[in-house]
Amino acid sequence: MLKAFVWTVPMALCCFSAWAQNDTSGDTATDAAETTLISAEVDLAAAEKIFQKSCRACHGNKAQGAASYPKLSDKEPDYIVELLERYRSGEKIGPNSILMIQHAKKLSDSDIASLAIYVTTAFE
Amino acid sequence: MYRSHYRTTLPVLASLIGGTAIMSLPAVAQSGLNTTNLQHEVVLDGLDNPWDMAFLDDGTMLFTEKCKGLSVRMADGTVNALYGVGDTDGYPSNGSDLFCEGQAGMMGVAFDPDFANNRRIYVYSTSNMSEPHTNRLMRFSLSEDFTSVSDRTDIVDDVPYKMAASDHPFGGPGAHNGGRVRFDANGHLFLTTGDTHNGEVPQSPTMMGSKVLRIDTDGNAIADNAPPDGFDDRTYTYGHRNVQGIAFHPVTGQAITAEHGPWHSDEITILQNGGNAGWDPRPNMAGRGDCPDNYCGYSPNQEEGMNRYERAAFMPMTDFDTYPDAMPPIWNNNGWSQGTSSAAFLAGDAWGDWNGAMVVGIMGIGFGGTPIGQRIDVIQFNDDNTDVEDVTEMTLPMETGRFRSVVMGPDGSLYTAIDEGTIYKLTPGG
Repeated sequence: MLKAFVWTVPMALCCFSAWAQNDTSGDTATDAAETTLISAEVDLAAAEKIFQKSCRACHGNKAQGAASYPKLSDKEPDYIVELLERYRSGEKIGPNSILMIQHAKKLSDSDIASLAIYVTTAFE
Repeated sequence: MYRSHYRTTLPVLASLIGGTAIMSLPAVAQSGLNTTNLQHEVVLDGLDNPWDMAFLDDGTMLFTEKCKGLSVRMADGTVNALYGVGDTDGYPSNGSDLFCEGQAGMMGVAFDPDFANNRRIYVYSTSNMSEPHTNRLMRFSLSEDFTSVSDRTDIVDDVPYKMAASDHPFGGPGAHNGGRVRFDANGHLFLTTGDTHNGEVPQSPTMMGSKVLRIDTDGNAIADNAPPDGFDDRTYTYGHRNVQGIAFHPVTGQAITAEHGPWHSDEITILQNGGNAGWDPRPNMAGRGDCPDNYCGYSPNQEEGMNRYERAAFMPMTDFDTYPDAMPPIWNNNGWSQGTSSAAFLAGDAWGDWNGAMVVGIMGIGFGGTPIGQRIDVIQFNDDNTDVEDVTEMTLPMETGRFRSVVMGPDGSLYTAIDEGTIYKLTPGG
């Protein structure tokens, strides 16, 4: 979980105002804000849906890698973010780039952040 | 040829009749309609890309892992490592020349039909012993206690290997090796190979990619192989793309391939001795101009999705215009390419109406609007066993995966390996 926390801080900061405006849970929320923020900003449920639809068939049901598609679960989140952003821009990186570009170009910054956390933590 | 009629049994029934389906399904399943009630068991898990399996009558199972090597699971469940890829740890002996890269590595495996007397087994793997590297079919002797192999003899050493990356989807080294190794009822050994992203290979009379080889256990051609004049006489059929599935019809004995299409048209084909499967991805022919790195296999528009029928018209999987006598496929997956891999025939009364039907493992791939499609399809033939009559998606009792291998076990169960690392046993009834 440490690597997830470290990486998610920047995402939490950029989205904090929206979270705060929607919060109605009272004073105790402050103490729990950090934990809540991580789960709120990194939408693991949304990431799981994207993973099941777009990633799982090649990278495996546990992101363990399969065939010529690499393992994801052992990577660092920032590595996943970097690669997805580069694929999203249309950059070719490796022999399976055409598949990755097609999927990555549909992803928002939030999707990428969430996926990066999901694939590197969900299958530990 | 079966193209458009496609149905799934249990989900469709459930959606149509709702809650009553729960009560009704057992009766439906046992009425002879088909077998939808499967039990599953994890045979092995945590494997590294299991690629193929082979069985003895007592349940002893050879299996390959693409980048690790060959092992045997004994009938009591113990596993003995036998022959490693490269310097992989944990094997009593290793092929220092063996390696994996991309789609290449250790692939098909088979027991000799006379194994009880000669202890011989056969394994297909990528090797760097030659320059350029090749895929090789190796013969071994398996020790009496099933703990080691010896007497390696490379009975086929010249199946092309893709050495360098090219400007194609999945264009890394090691693409398209075929890889299935099977014996027919006559004791003939069949090896399936692939085109290595090389436009010249499929129709080449001498390069042994894109072929189905029919040989004896020393690697020699079967005498009545009948390829065209000038062809290597080990050739049973040619002009394939990348055959990973081959099985033999239980009634006719004919070899039938299941083949992965080029972003369109996975195919099942009843092979004809000497036949041409009609794949010819060379540039500057059949109405095509130049193609990336002289291979039109993903053209046109290889970086974007497009209508599969337009793609098929430009670069057909079976080019009847150029090769009017090409072997006609009997199934083309509704024009989709979804990663069709292995094939087998179900056997046993417990399979009900599916007894004798073909099953095909589909690995799934989503590109350009193609449904991913991970599944096992049950292919039922017509009364003459000349065409596909019905296709049913098997209702699986476990999560889907990349179904690389389907093999009928001696216990009447279907075994399937998924790239994710699991070998399952599927048993009808229960």
